[in-house]
Formats: sequence, C-alpha cells, structure tokens
Amino acid sequence: MIRSAPERPEDILDLVTESVIVRGLDGRIRLWNDMSETIYGWRRENALGRPLHGLLHSHHPLTIAGIESLLAEKGVWEGELTRSTADGREVRIETRWIMRRDDHGRPVDIVETGRDMTHFPELELETRLNTHRYRNLFQAMAASFWELDFSLVRRMIEDLVNDGVRDLRAYLAAHPDFIRRAMAATHVIDVNEKTVQLFGAQGRAQLRGMNVAPFWPCASEYIYAQALVAAFESRPHYIAETKVATLDGREIDVIFTVCWPTEHKGRGSVLVGIIDISEQVAARAALERIRAELAHAARVSILGELVASIAHEVNQPLAAIATNGEAGLRWLARPEPDVEEVRMLTGRMVADARRAADIIARIRGMAAKRAPEPTLMSLNGLIEEAMLFLRHERQAHDVALTLDLAPDLPPLRADRTQVQQVVVNLAVNAMQAMNQAGSPERALKVRTRPAGPATLLCEMEDSGPGIPPDHLERLFDSFFTTKESGLGIGLSICRSIIEAHGGEIRAANLPGGACFSFTLPAGPAPADHAAIVE
Amino acid sequence: MMLRVICGHVQEDFRVPDDILISVIDDDESLCLAMVGLIRSFGYRASGHGSAEAFLRSGEMARARCIVTDIHMAGLNGLELKQLLDEQECHVPVIMMTARTEEALLMRARESGALCLLQKPFPADALIGWIDKALAT
Repeated sequence: MIRSAPERPEDILDLVTESVIVRGLDGRIRLWNDMSETIYGWRRENALGRPLHGLLHSHHPLTIAGIESLLAEKGVWEGELTRSTADGREVRIETRWIMRRDDHGRPVDIVETGRDMTHFPELELETRLNTHRYRNLFQAMAASFWELDFSLVRRMIEDLVNDGVRDLRAYLAAHPDFIRRAMAATHVIDVNEKTVQLFGAQGRAQLRGMNVAPFWPCASEYIYAQALVAAFESRPHYIAETKVATLDGREIDVIFTVCWPTEHKGRGSVLVGIIDISEQVAARAALERIRAELAHAARVSILGELVASIAHEVNQPLAAIATNGEAGLRWLARPEPDVEEVRMLTGRMVADARRAADIIARIRGMAAKRAPEPTLMSLNGLIEEAMLFLRHERQAHDVALTLDLAPDLPPLRADRTQVQQVVVNLAVNAMQAMNQAGSPERALKVRTRPAGPATLLCEMEDSGPGIPPDHLERLFDSFFTTKESGLGIGLSICRSIIEAHGGEIRAANLPGGACFSFTLPAGPAPADHAAIVE
Repeated sequence: MMLRVICGHVQEDFRVPDDILISVIDDDESLCLAMVGLIRSFGYRASGHGSAEAFLRSGEMARARCIVTDIHMAGLNGLELKQLLDEQECHVPVIMMTARTEEALLMRARESGALCLLQKPFPADALIGWIDKALAT
C-alpha cells in the first residue's frame, strides 16, 4: 500500500503495526491510531473522548483496577487483556502500558501499545508467556537474583584443562589466587530490584557491569571455589550457606544458589539466587548462646546445691562433736570430775568424727569419675569428630580451623569419651581466649604427630593473647580461672584424664598465641594396661 | 550411768537429783544425745527424743519445764509441734534450733511464739543461757 507522507507527527503512528492508544488520567481516549480501528472496529471519531475500558470491555484476572494501581506504582505494566470489538467479537490483546510524566514527575497520560494475539499460533504464545513469566519471576521474587556473565571464567577453566589440570579442587587449593581472578572476571549482566535493596546499591545500573569480587568476603572464598568446581564437574546447580558482603560494607548470612541454565550455556551466563537468612542465623546464634548459658547456670547451681548439702551433712556430726566436747569439759571442771561421763562423751566424739569422715568418703566416691574404658581408636578421627561437634561454636567466634593430622598414626588406646572431652575442652578454651581478647585473626591449628615409639602427640595452637607467665604454673589447678563465669575445673579435669591414661599435658606460649599439647600411649597396649589405669 | 535407746527415744535413769526436766527433740541421734549430755552437765535432768511424735507419746509434755527442738524433722516439724502445744494450751517455753539458713524459714520460726531460735552450730553457753531464761519465766 502506498501512502502519502504524514502531515502531523502523530500520523506516523498510523504506520505502526500495533494498536497505539493514549488515554488521559480520567481513562478517556485521547489518541487512537489506524491499527486500533483495525483491531477493535471503532472509528477514531467514535473512540476519542470515550472511556477506554468501558468502550472495549477490558478484562484481566487481576481486575482492571488492580493493574491500574500496579501501573501507578511502577509506571509500566505489561500483560494480556481480553476485550470486545465493536461487532462483539472477543479478542486477546497483548499490551504494554507506560505512564508519561511531566518535568515535575506528575503523571500526564498513559500510552498503550497492543497486539492482537487472538490468532497467534499457540506455541509462540506459550514462548511469549514463558518469557513474560521469567521476567516477572526475576523481578518480583523476594529473593535476590543475578544473571552473571561467566564466559571469561569458562575460558580460564578451559585453559587450565588444556594445560593438563584434571582436578580443579586440588588446583584451587594450591593456587588460591585463581579464585580472586575468576571473581574479577565474573561480570554482572543484570539483577532484580531485591538485589539492589539487599546489597545497598543505588540502582540496577550501578551493579550492571561490575565484577563480583567485592561481594565475596575472604572467609567465603571457598564457596565461590566450590561453585567453580561444581561448574567444572558439569553439575547443574550448587547451593550453600555463606556470608556475602554488601556495597555499604555489611556482611550478611545468605543461602547462595547458582545454576547453569541449559538454554544459557552457549552464552556462558549463569543465574545466581541469594536469600537473606541473617535473621534466622541471628536467631540460631542467640539460641546457641542461651543454651550454653543455661548449661553453665545448671552446672553452677548443681554445684551450689551439692556444696549446701555437703555442708549440712558434715555440719551435723561436727556440731555433735563440739557439743559433746563442751559437756565433757564441764564434767571435768566439777570439783569431782566425772571420768565415766567424759569417757562416754569422748566415745561419742570419736564415733561422730568417724561419721563425718564417712560422709566425705561417700561424696568423694560419688564425684569420682567412672574408671576409663580403654578401646583402640584413631586419634585423628576422634579430633575430626570433636571439631565437627564444635562447628557452631567455631562459626560463632569466627575461628579459622586448620587440621594438620599425621597420616599413618598408630591407633590410640584410650577412653574415647574422656579424650574427646579433653580435645573439646582445649578447643573451646582457645576459642574463648581469642574471643575474650578480641583477637582480629582467629586461627586454631590442631596437629597430630607420633612422639616416640609408642606415644602420640596432639598440639593445639591458637592465635590468642597467650598465657600470662605467672598463670602457667597454676593453669591446671582446680578452681583456677581467668574467665568471668568459669568454674576453673576444665583444665584440671583434662589433666586428670590425660594422666589417668598415662600421658602428659602441657601449656606453653608461642610467638603468636598459646599452645596446649598432650601425649597419649599408642596401642595395642600390654595386657596388664587396664590394671595400670585402674 | 545407764542409757537406754528405744525407738529413737533416749532416756537416762533417774540418778540426777534435780527435779527440773528439759526435753530435747532432734532427729539426728548423735546430736540429740550430745545435747542431752550437755544439759545434764549443767545439772538439769534431760531426755532426748528422735521425733516430735516420740516426744508427744512420752507423756513428758506435762512435766517438761523447757522444750529444745530442731525445726526440720521428718513427720511433725518443730513449728508444727509448737502450734500443737499452743492448741493444747501447753505454755512450756520452746527453744528452736536449725541448721538451715533460708530467711523465710527463720522468720516463721521467730513468729511462731518460740522463746528463741538458735542457728546450728551454736556455743553451749548460748543454749544454757536460754534454758536459764526459760526456767525463770
């Protein structure tokens, strides 16, 4: 069709193959192009000035009022409407509404473009719907979403493979700098609004094009490394709990997921989802703390009760002894001392003294720990288990753990529970000391070594303030403590346990912290070993 | 000197000439014996009982010039005994003893109408001093 050049600028709209309608804020039609006439069957002169939704019986599952308010909020809305034409046919219209504003930001009118989808092939409709859904999901979810350009990192990994690297995990362990370089080569393609909000950015534009390195604190690097390994091993996704850094310098606890969508593979982009769980983590930490405090309070109150009942039990015979003694003195002070009375009273005093001694013996028997039950086990395994047990405490105090466990250690012959108690106690002490001193770098190193033909050595080094020299001597004494709420029995129990096993426990200062070490005999022990332990 | 111990009820024979009887009630047998011995060394007659019930059964209530009782005992405790004595209009002075330290308990003992409250352990002079006061009333 040949047309003459349009005379007015809006006549250009008549060349557009979409319906273009402008309506005022009152909903009345201000502009109606040729395509609108074609689709809806209303001539321009009949449409102008009439309310749009009334004229076309617009319908949407969210209601027209609902999507109008979405438009007012966001300034733009896209979706599919059902409408009626002038001759009563029902049509499906894919529309996009944009609210135009004046220089002061006040709304002026609404521009609608529309396309008749009634006769569109179903397949294409489905694809369009999916794209739309995906876009909505990306934007509307309460999770932070990132689309990242991973192509440079893929190339870096390919180069490694070409250089003969087969085990990426081992390579990353040996070349930790690769992780930072890979982060610097991972760029942001797009993010959703939630990301802007969560990471304290000015807007999406600020994040687009950035590399991801600033969002990864050093302590979380291994998570990025594990994601790299997952990509390398062609796993479809990776999920982990970690900490990420925000642009305004906070660190937040998150669940981090990354997936490599198949349809994005060619373009080398990955999708990352981040869910803020800082509140849950804080609640969990608070719970842990309360539990620890309760356990301590229970220990202290049990001790208090024990002391009170011991005091009462022992007080009775002591009071009887004192009373008998006074009575005896009076009988002796008489002009004619009654030796028979005094003999009887003295007999009672001896009996009461014996009774007091029996009470003490009974309490000691109650408090004495059960005899060790030695079995053969791996010292390394026991340490790994203990460290797993302390995972929460370690995370709470932000302590980096290094295990340097000698392979091929002979088995240990000891009471498993008791030795574990020693390991846990020493580790907790180290973490608390670093925490109490506010040490910035908190590192705990646990090392095992053979020490002699039938002796195993375990050393535990921390990066805390060390032990004051005048404390070194008394460290293992009962009721010696530097902790505000400590009972001062932990280290003395450790010493009893290690010595009962025939080992030794020591404490020393290193240049950058304290070191506790203990030795234990390796098994299998001679047949009469159990008797020696007893 | 003969001493018979029957069901926690300790009674000496009647060789002490003095006529004044002091009853001691304490469920700790050796402490009960010790106090009986101490009071006797001051020249009074004394008999010991292992519980408030044993004391009531002994029929000493009418004869005793002073009752020295522990508070915390199995069965009838010292405070309940004092209440029971009040109900039966028995006005024998009561000296209470306890090894406990809870303030509420001490307060209740002081308000029970007892002559005094002795906290174990106490010196012999304190007990005898109060017994003398009890006998003077």
